[in-house]
Amino acid sequence: MERIQAREADALSQLYDRYNGILKALILRVIHNEAEADDLLQEIFMEIWNQAKNFSAQKGKPLGWMVTLARRRAIDGLRKKQAYARAEERLQNEIEQQPDAWVHNATEEEIVLSDTRTLIRKVIMGLPPAQQLAIDLAFFKGMSQREIAAKTNTPLGTVKTRLELGLKKIYDGLKDLRDEL
Amino acid sequence: MNFERFQNQSRLYVIGALEPEEVEEFEKARKKFGKKAEDFIAKCYALHEAFALSLRPAKSSDAIKDRLMAMVKAKKEA
Repeated sequence: MERIQAREADALSQLYDRYNGILKALILRVIHNEAEADDLLQEIFMEIWNQAKNFSAQKGKPLGWMVTLARRRAIDGLRKKQAYARAEERLQNEIEQQPDAWVHNATEEEIVLSDTRTLIRKVIMGLPPAQQLAIDLAFFKGMSQREIAAKTNTPLGTVKTRLELGLKKIYDGLKDLRDEL
Repeated sequence: MNFERFQNQSRLYVIGALEPEEVEEFEKARKKFGKKAEDFIAKCYALHEAFALSLRPAKSSDAIKDRLMAMVKAKKEA
């Protein structure tokens, strides 16, 4: 990031090679459209280039900063492009077909996961499906507690409890990984 | 709000899941707990990285990188 802050284009190229797959997966998870995800990925890396001066290593790791930026842009993009209704329809199908939204992304057999990914997924999969779903809707769809309550036909207090318990379990489960992330 | 409650709220805050009426109380507690609060919130952002890393990386078109680097080059030259 220091080299990007020094306006070295090669550094951005290396950053892109290292993280484009992770950021593209995140964007796709939000907007469910390959072409739009590619366009947004390009815009996000351009924003990383333009906003690099605002990154502070004291406040966190580069990946965390990029994920926060990418998630915000993806959720904004979802709403601006008025794809929200279509995504909601797909989301509704996902909920009806498989309440455990993380499970259908990929199976352990389909892909070889890195050690980090394996550990993270193990922690997430260890949550009750209702907690996974609440977190999935909040993080990947940018839904408020009230929107989640309406979407899942669940009392608001229950949604809040599910989010709090689920996030605490993930946070605690990743304690050993946090310094590496 | 005690610190344990603040920790629970912080995890919701970083993923944008606090309701508007909860944000004001959260910000008051954030000021009250000062550096301890800021340190904890910073740690909570690791959740963002964890959720992203839980996904299988997706392949993007090679043309994206070419376009990106061309835009960067043009911007540097401008």
